[in-house]
Amino acid sequence: MDAILDFLGFAFIQSQLPRFWDGFLLTLAISAASMIGAVMWGLALVGPRMSGVPVIVVPIMAYIELVRNTPLLLQIYLFYFGLPLLGLPLSAFVCGVIAIASQHGAFLCEIYRAGILSISRHQWEGALALGMTRRKSMRQVILPQAVLKVVPPIGNQLVILIKDTSLVSAIGIIELTLSGKMVIERSGASFEVFLFIAAVYLLITTTFGVVLRIAENRLRARQ
Amino acid sequence: MFDVLIANLPYLMKGALQTLWLAVVGVGLGTLLGIVLGVISAMVGGVVPALIATYVFVIRGIPVLVWMFLAYYMLPQLGLMVGDMTAVIGALILYTGAFVAEIARGAVLAVPRHQTEAAKALGMRKLTMLRLVVLPQAVSLSIPPLLNNSVMMIKVTSYVSVVGVWELTYAAREVVERTLAAFQIFLGVMLIYFLICYPLTLAARYLEKRYSYEH
Repeated sequence: MDAILDFLGFAFIQSQLPRFWDGFLLTLAISAASMIGAVMWGLALVGPRMSGVPVIVVPIMAYIELVRNTPLLLQIYLFYFGLPLLGLPLSAFVCGVIAIASQHGAFLCEIYRAGILSISRHQWEGALALGMTRRKSMRQVILPQAVLKVVPPIGNQLVILIKDTSLVSAIGIIELTLSGKMVIERSGASFEVFLFIAAVYLLITTTFGVVLRIAENRLRARQ
Repeated sequence: MFDVLIANLPYLMKGALQTLWLAVVGVGLGTLLGIVLGVISAMVGGVVPALIATYVFVIRGIPVLVWMFLAYYMLPQLGLMVGDMTAVIGALILYTGAFVAEIARGAVLAVPRHQTEAAKALGMRKLTMLRLVVLPQAVSLSIPPLLNNSVMMIKVTSYVSVVGVWELTYAAREVVERTLAAFQIFLGVMLIYFLICYPLTLAARYLEKRYSYEH
């Protein structure tokens, strides 16, 4: 047992815990801020995206396709190195959050849209036949059904988002991944630092997954 | 305004070739690995599927960037004197493999049961059944998700630049550091990635639609 702990550099990692703790908190903060941003941005996009007005739909589709088919890392660089040139010198944290929220918001918009489109046409017809306005049918008939369908894919997307926060290490934010790299570079420690970091990420994503499943079951039970 | 981009285009194109090479080797081998693992985990019983499921769970729960750093620092210390390039390609293969294993397993399980039962009733052995009955049907089901997965992994190849391996994104950063033309270069490079990824996305969408009409 002692040999294993020794091999995993247990004592050393213990001595570095405060550094990892700061990185861990920052990863949580970036994840939370980006999640809120992405969910809201997706909601803001989905209405115009489904409006059926070409002047609005085409630019939004172009944006969504561009963002979904290019690496997030480049989008982070674009915001971080590009915005100061426009006279907007935002902090690395803000740039990272904007880039992550922008990409995941685009993915979420398509998830919301698929959820709304998956509701049968008969539901619309029924609601309208009852004399509901389009707005009211959407709010009281379509959306409640769509929400249940989109919860699992939204959950998957948000787990990907948590993992993607590791990319902001590339613009110098000392979150979990970069804290690991810095500890290695300063102390000459070795890979066990990254085994530890990997374990922490696994813990975060798994915990988040379990919480989501519980929330999903509650939502299902209530309806 | 885009002179900078045009002037540096040959250099960026060299980076794009490197990206394509990473994608073909890393994503290609990873897809092969994942197909083998996925088919095995759908076809056999015992502990093997549980082991594969654990592999998938662990790989997918951790950012690929962390896997790249881990491979980068760990392999040399374990006595494997490999270059940075080999280390990150290893991480890419393992990461792709985990996602593909899920896709392949799902596709095999989606082949209706009576198909395998009929094959068994005809006296086919397991491998013959796999070759003649299961795989031909599973392949058409899995091509669209495999294409989407390839797009995701091509985007992931850009992360190797963070570990310090030279490819398109790394080249873009070099050019920006030299010219300070962040907008032109990064947007131009995004366009190059888009031209690589978007045809695959469109193909996936087209095939998805075509197969869904067949059923």
